[in-house]
Order: sequence, then structure tokens, then C-alpha cells
Amino acid sequence: MPSRVVITGLGVVSPIGIGVSEFWNAALAGRSGISAIRSFDPFPMDGYRSKVAGQIHNFSPEQYLPSHQADRIDRYAQFALVASKEALADADLLMAKEAPHRVGVIVGAGMGGMVMGEREITQLYQQHKPQRVHPNFIPVITLNSASGIVAMAYGAKGPNLTISTACSSSAHALGQALQCIRTGQADVVITVGADASITPLVFAGFCSLRALSSKYNDAPERASRPFDRGRDGFVMGEGAGALIVESLAHAKKRKAKIYAEIAGYAATSEAYHMVIPREDGEEVATTMRLALKAAGVTPAQVDYINAHATSTTIGDAVEAKAIRHLFKHRADKIAINATKSLVGHTLGAAGAIGAVASSLAIHTGRIHPTANYDNPDPVCRLDGISRSVQERKIRTALLNAFGFGSNNAAVVLKKFVA
Amino acid sequence: MSDRAIAAKIIQALADYLKRDPASIKEAHHLRDDLGLDSMAVIELLYKIEETFNIQIPDQDLPALSTVGSVAAYVQQRLTPAKPVPARTPKKLAPSRAPKKPAPTSKKKKR
Repeated sequence: MPSRVVITGLGVVSPIGIGVSEFWNAALAGRSGISAIRSFDPFPMDGYRSKVAGQIHNFSPEQYLPSHQADRIDRYAQFALVASKEALADADLLMAKEAPHRVGVIVGAGMGGMVMGEREITQLYQQHKPQRVHPNFIPVITLNSASGIVAMAYGAKGPNLTISTACSSSAHALGQALQCIRTGQADVVITVGADASITPLVFAGFCSLRALSSKYNDAPERASRPFDRGRDGFVMGEGAGALIVESLAHAKKRKAKIYAEIAGYAATSEAYHMVIPREDGEEVATTMRLALKAAGVTPAQVDYINAHATSTTIGDAVEAKAIRHLFKHRADKIAINATKSLVGHTLGAAGAIGAVASSLAIHTGRIHPTANYDNPDPVCRLDGISRSVQERKIRTALLNAFGFGSNNAAVVLKKFVA
Repeated sequence: MSDRAIAAKIIQALADYLKRDPASIKEAHHLRDDLGLDSMAVIELLYKIEETFNIQIPDQDLPALSTVGSVAAYVQQRLTPAKPVPARTPKKLAPSRAPKKPAPTSKKKKR
């Protein structure tokens, strides 16, 4: 039997709260963190079809990080540091007491250091002065900058990996943390998902893909509406989630509190299309089935799904179809929610923030509402989706995450029973 | 620009970078040993200095720039129109204050 792995600490930086307690209170209240983008100074917003996003307005890195550290890293890595710091404190994990090579870091990031990346690229192309490209440009945009920075901050000398599978990045990071511990490479993995790319170029790119909501520019808080009939695309968000993942033996030894157990994980490729999922939902259903099998549980034991649910017309329909296909008559009995209805789609951070919400749901028995689920779309109707908090004893939960590149991930979390 | 003004600007850039009081930074301070700048930090400082004084510092000039004073002296030389210092100045620069005489030309070919 594979060794047991548990979640012992949580951290989050999100548009509805910096810190788990602020995030969770806002989530239970169903509060939307979506607002109008004021401007991409010096760009006016006129040229953008979508003008709303889940931005974190009150984040000042100096409040959380020493200024020499904050200055040198991109916004997504700042988020990663702040979230991981909270998670370590929450887990009461003292690095001084740990064997450094037994503590790893796995970060999921989809876009990486785009704030500085875009600025430097723009300046070079405008000014034609290659000698004025900032010396920190390469270290900042290298996609594993956050995982390196997190390891350096805490002296974590175990496996240090970055997983970039677009919107499923940090669900994979969580799954890989599980494997890393099960294969004996580490006792603890600081697992993070982070992205901060609500930047002029990336935002324009998603607009051009016609992937973003544009119908609710005048009512931003209504724009992210997974499974609702009025949904018209996802809303970009930014943030980070962090989870301290450790072997049960290690957690027991230091008498850590346990939020949930990570029981299984599946990673698949649809090998189908760069940005469109297979419409029959077969591949999504297969991914969930494989994850449950890996966890040694049956579909009948699943009580809760933290859905990928981005609020796109096709994506939500495919996921709902897959859930119905896999769980058959039980599909309507499973509580389902969409964290993206609150924070938008945080890309590489989405899996980790969803995992924080799932861990809290398992731990507290409270499932946060799906905001803006006003008018259920018949093509993705599932009775377990609700605008209100659902109280439920959760034995087994599924976390779904799907990414561009035909990429699917599902992670099975369980209530920890000794 | 006077030697003193150049040195003051460099010290200010260092103070901004290191987030410390400019008064605590002396020209004799070694960038690494006294001020704790690692090689990456030195590169960032020089990037800032290139911008401040609108000069370009070639790679081969870097080894000589080890103290606050040597950086100030180097910048002073580069800004002196009558005696433009060619790209290569491997000759050791004065440890503090700007040298009044440029490095001997014969040494400039060494490398």
C-alpha cells in the first residue's frame, strides 16, 4: 500500500483576500473579487474587449517581504512567497528542525514573470537599446524563478520543480508532490501555484482568443458565472495558493494538524486540440476515473467536486457532461462548486487555490457558494451546484483542473481518518 | 560634473539599492567585502550607473570596479571629454577619489 500523504498547512493570496481567513470568509459569503480594470497605464482600456479581472488591489509586497527581496522578483513570485510563508506558519513547520534535503518545493505556474517580461520586451522594441535590458530580466522570467526563490527563502534543499501546464499547473504540482513523497524523495513538499499576468500583452492575447467574458464589463462582479446560462467566457484572475504536503508519518511525528489526505492523482492528455476540450467529455471523465482508481475509492464515495469550471461556454458544459457520465444517477447528489466564480481564473494558481478551498471544505464541512449561479444552464445542470453555502460531511473530494495543451489533471482529497 | 558630485550620485544609487543611509557608505568601501554586494548585485548597480550617467561600461572594465571610489573614478574618467577613456581600462584605478591622470596608454593594450 502506498504511503499516506496529508495536507498540514494552507496559504493564499487572492482577489478576495490575502491570507486564508480573509479568503475563506469572503468565499463563504460568496463575495466576488472581480472588478473593472482601471487601465493598463499608459494604454486605455478601449481596445480591450474584456475590461474586468480578478486583480489584487491591496497587495503591497513590502508589507510581507523584506524590500530587497520584494524588489528583485516578479509579482507572481511575490505571491508565491507570501502564500508559502503563511502555509509554513499554519503548518507550524520549523525549517530549523527539518533535514533540509527532505523538504522539496514544487510550484505550478502558467505564465510566470510577465510583469517585468512585458516591460522589458516593450522597451527593447521601442527604444532599440539592447544594453538597457535589465540584468534581472532572465532570472525573473525564467519560469522556475518562484520555485527557486521559495526554496531559498526557507532553505528547502529537496527536489525543486516547476510544473507548467497552463491552467492545470498547480493541480499537477499537488499531484507531483504526492508522488515525490510516495517515492521517498522528500518528507515535505511546499506546494505552490502562482500567476500574475493581468498584463497588457497577456490580457490582449486572451481577448484575441475570445476566451474572456466581455458581456459584463459594466457589472464586473457578475462576469465570472460558471455553469450559469449567462456565462460568456472566463475572467482572468491573479494570485497564489500554497499547501504544505507531507508524509503522514512525518506529520504524526511532529503532531501536525491535518486538513485532508491526498489520496490519488491522475494526469492525462486529450491529445486533441491546443485550446478546445473534447466535447463528449470522455477524456475528462477518464481523468477523474483514473484519479479515483489511484486513490482506491469508487465514484460512489465522492461527496464533493471542486470543479475546474472557468465560466466558458464549452468548458463548463464538457465538465458537467463528464461528471454526469462518470457518476451517473449520483451526479446530482454530489456537492459541486466553482472557486473561479469568486476569484476568476488565476491560471497557474487555480489548482492550488481550488485545493485550499477543497481542504477547507473537507476540514470544516462547509462548501463555498458558486457566485452568479442565477440561472442554471440546462446543458450543464447539476443539482449539487448552489449559490449558497452547502453543509456536508465530506469523505472524498475531487479537484479538477484542465489546461491548454489538451491537458487534464484530477486530484483526490479525503477526510483524514487515522 | 565634479568628482564629488559623481561620487555622491554613485553613493546615492548604492544607498537606494542597499536601502541604507548614504552617509554610511564611504568611497573606500569594497562593493563585495564591505557592502555585501554579490556579483549579480554589482551588475545591477552598474546597470543603474550606466543609466544615471548615460555611459556604457564594457565587460572588460568590470574587474577594476571593486570599490565605491574606483567606480566613481572610472565614471569621472568616462565623463571627461578631453581625455575620453577608451573602452579598455584594465589598469587599476585609484582606490578613492578620481585619479587626475589617465592610465598609461601602453598598458591599455594588455589583455
